[in-house]
Amino acid sequence: MDTETNVAVADSPTGAATEPTTNESVVIETRNLSKIYRDFWGRKKVHALKSLDIEVRQGEIFGLLGPNGSGKSTTIKLILGLLFPTSGRVLVFDKDAGETQKNERIGYLPEESYLYKFLTAEETLDFYGRLFDLSAAERRDRVSKLIEMVGLQGAKSRQLKEYSKGMTRRVGLAQALINDPDLILLDEPTTGLDPIGTREMKDLILGLRDQGKTILLCSHQLADVQDVCDRVAILHQGELKELGRVQDLLKVQDITEVHATGLSDDAKREIAELISRHGGKLESMDNPTATMEDLFLNIVRESEARPGARRVSQRPETAEGQPESDSGGSA
Amino acid sequence: MNLQPEDFWSFQQWFLRPGAFLESAALKGIVLFVLAVVLGLLVGYVISSARYGSGEGFYAVARAIRDFFRFDLPGTAPRRVLALARLAFKEAVRRKVLYVVGLFVVMLLLAGWYLNPQSDDPGRLYISFVLTATNYLVLALALFISAFSLPEDIKNRTMYTIVTKPVRATEIVLGRMLGFMAMGTVILVPMGLLSYFFVVRGLDHTHYEVEELVELPGGGYEGETDYVQFHSHKFTLGEDGLGTTNSVRGHRHVVIRQPDGSFRIGPPEGALRARVPSYGEMVFRDRSGNLDDQGIDVGSERLAGGYGSAGVARLIGVTGGQRKLLHGYIEGGTLGAAEFTFDNVTPERYPDNIPIDLSLRAYRSYKGDIETGIRGSISMKHPSKPIESNPIPFIVDEYEVDEKTLPLNIEGTDGTQTRELNVFEDLVDEEGRLTVIIRCLDRGQYLGATPSSAYLRPEENTFAWNLTKAYASIWLQMAMVTAFGVMFSTFLTGPVAMVATAVVVLLGFSAEQVYDTRHYIDAGINRGGGPIESMVRLIRQDAMTTELDVDTLAAKVIKTTDAGIVYVLDALATALPNLPKMVGTAEFAASGFDIFGALLARHATATLGYVVLAFIISYFTLKSREIAA
Repeated sequence: MDTETNVAVADSPTGAATEPTTNESVVIETRNLSKIYRDFWGRKKVHALKSLDIEVRQGEIFGLLGPNGSGKSTTIKLILGLLFPTSGRVLVFDKDAGETQKNERIGYLPEESYLYKFLTAEETLDFYGRLFDLSAAERRDRVSKLIEMVGLQGAKSRQLKEYSKGMTRRVGLAQALINDPDLILLDEPTTGLDPIGTREMKDLILGLRDQGKTILLCSHQLADVQDVCDRVAILHQGELKELGRVQDLLKVQDITEVHATGLSDDAKREIAELISRHGGKLESMDNPTATMEDLFLNIVRESEARPGARRVSQRPETAEGQPESDSGGSA
Repeated sequence: MNLQPEDFWSFQQWFLRPGAFLESAALKGIVLFVLAVVLGLLVGYVISSARYGSGEGFYAVARAIRDFFRFDLPGTAPRRVLALARLAFKEAVRRKVLYVVGLFVVMLLLAGWYLNPQSDDPGRLYISFVLTATNYLVLALALFISAFSLPEDIKNRTMYTIVTKPVRATEIVLGRMLGFMAMGTVILVPMGLLSYFFVVRGLDHTHYEVEELVELPGGGYEGETDYVQFHSHKFTLGEDGLGTTNSVRGHRHVVIRQPDGSFRIGPPEGALRARVPSYGEMVFRDRSGNLDDQGIDVGSERLAGGYGSAGVARLIGVTGGQRKLLHGYIEGGTLGAAEFTFDNVTPERYPDNIPIDLSLRAYRSYKGDIETGIRGSISMKHPSKPIESNPIPFIVDEYEVDEKTLPLNIEGTDGTQTRELNVFEDLVDEEGRLTVIIRCLDRGQYLGATPSSAYLRPEENTFAWNLTKAYASIWLQMAMVTAFGVMFSTFLTGPVAMVATAVVVLLGFSAEQVYDTRHYIDAGINRGGGPIESMVRLIRQDAMTTELDVDTLAAKVIKTTDAGIVYVLDALATALPNLPKMVGTAEFAASGFDIFGALLARHATATLGYVVLAFIISYFTLKSREIAA
């Protein structure tokens, strides 16, 4: 058993949120934003977005959430000026979304990395660096840093057509960061990534936020959104259904959660009594199961630390004594 | 080579047309530009008012124009343009367009299959073959690479990562155009070099032996070379053992008798040339010696042709009638003559003699002596004084450039006395002008001439340089097609953009025919009529020149509709680049004429104009387009 005793009392089951220091200045603002897709003859096909009003503030991670076809991607494309609004406006850094100059401060990772397959990673990043009119020295510097950051040193001179999906995704992320942007738009950042990649992507996003960058991401991977976002907007069929802080939205008001390690059975019994004495109702008290993600990451981490060793040999110990943290359930 | 009046224009004459501004290229450019702006505003307004409502639409158009001048044009950064151009270039390379050079090599290797080795003028054949092949290959290539690239990027959405960077629409368009033009250049250079070697090596040959050698009584030799590459030459050597062969298949050889009695025959000379002509003013004199501006019309020649190109003036009907130069004929054995007055005849330009080239046509009213050609004479005359040299007789070589030299000292008449004349002292006036008179000596036969039929040849350029100029002309066409391809690809899908560009090219190529058709309709000449009338005639198997044989009402409907169609086509063809004129430079190179600098400058200016126009249109269409739609 772990000797560490660590009692955490948290309001939310996410470990993510240290309070974002949001400066109130608004980076993206949509006003009554609507988009109707029409066919060639001007007939209405889809009402993709209906009167969306959101504000993304500086330094926060804002999530757009919703099922397929809910208008997430449309919103991002409208913000980028890839689409023109049917009515309403989008302001990015107080400029109209149609203006090219705003792009100086924006990084965009599209849903799939739409890159030129005949370029190598280095050439790709250099090319996008040129599009920001960066000098040769600056480009060299940033390209090598970014390649290192996304972990593609070994493959930087290979053409992108030889890349796996995850690798392409990394190059995509690197190209989005080539200009050291203030605002980063990520369209489904974790699709196509394996669990490690997903974890790294999430850490990266948090790291960028810590550098003071504003991030707007859209996803239908709820877990990802929950893990990283400060605020989310939930869209469905083009309409905004919910908007708020992740903690607030997810907080279940009348349930209290206690995590503790090193408790004896007696102590647990005592806690249960304590709860009932105070008129509370103990709903469950047992050892939590780790998530598949944690398990997977543990395995990989260990195998990297001790290459070649068979995981199975030490497995029973952990498997049986699974709760490394003996925990109090919820009361 | 038969030149049209406009071929003689200097760059400035073409651009401004002093005295006839309506025909000028400058006006055409201005009109095109204004039209593009007006149409652009109109279409822009219609589209944006459909998008945003009529009031907002107006502001949207105004904003688009403001953005162009305030942000996008000044914001265009060379580094971004170059990056995009490099990308376009790489993409073209990846599409294996360089294989076209390989295809060209194969075409050259197999040339023996379709180039007649027994041709009378192999130089012309080879040169026009390589230039035509290059021209069409490169145009087709430009069509392909330029029309598909942008739509493909939009379809693959690679465009998303470009337009979300601070990239201006100007840069995207310019980058494509420059990238593809660079690609075209990279392809044209090896093609040019290959062509040069193909032509030079293909024409190179040596005769080794001498046959039928006869020693002349007065010293010197007469003989014939051996038969190599389907021809042999006759030659005469002087007493010094030096001489040249006669010209066969466009070239001759130098023959030298060496001290040991053997003969050395040099490489072919004169097959690849770039004559720099100095043309003069021409007038005709009729059979009684009176001035006549046309010469005699010997038949159907004068019927062909319409307006030629005269820009806006022709389109709005101010200029009508004949614009093409046709041969006027002079009658033999009379006072009829063609007089050419040349400028700038100075001892510096013509130190030894005056080379003059003739390309005359002959018209025979009776068979005469079929063994030999029609006889003519050249004499030199003072432009204003009655001083004239004695005529130098010659036999007209109808289908070739007849190269003559006029001596600097010649006997002639000064008023009434006969004396030895010096060309520069007696025949050239103070302004350096000299008149050359051409007459036909055979009674009842006729010689035809145009202003390009006789010219002095003060100098020659090298063939290599001339071929370079011909390739520059192809380059310009490639640039033009690329610009149009990119323009169409900003708002059409790849295949449609390619077809649209092809239509522009084809309409450009048939511009002259469209002009002609309109001329016939305007002038009421029965020449088959417009498209519908021609169709009716085809089905009814009627001849072109008969009256249309349908009832009056039907004829009226058909002719009115046809006129509408032809006028629209005419307007379009006038607006489009005159590509056949540019392809025409190949004819210069093939005929052994130096391509006029003015002509190349005109093509370059026109190309630049069209590229700029295409660039501006592309900018606005791309800018107003939803990339993600």
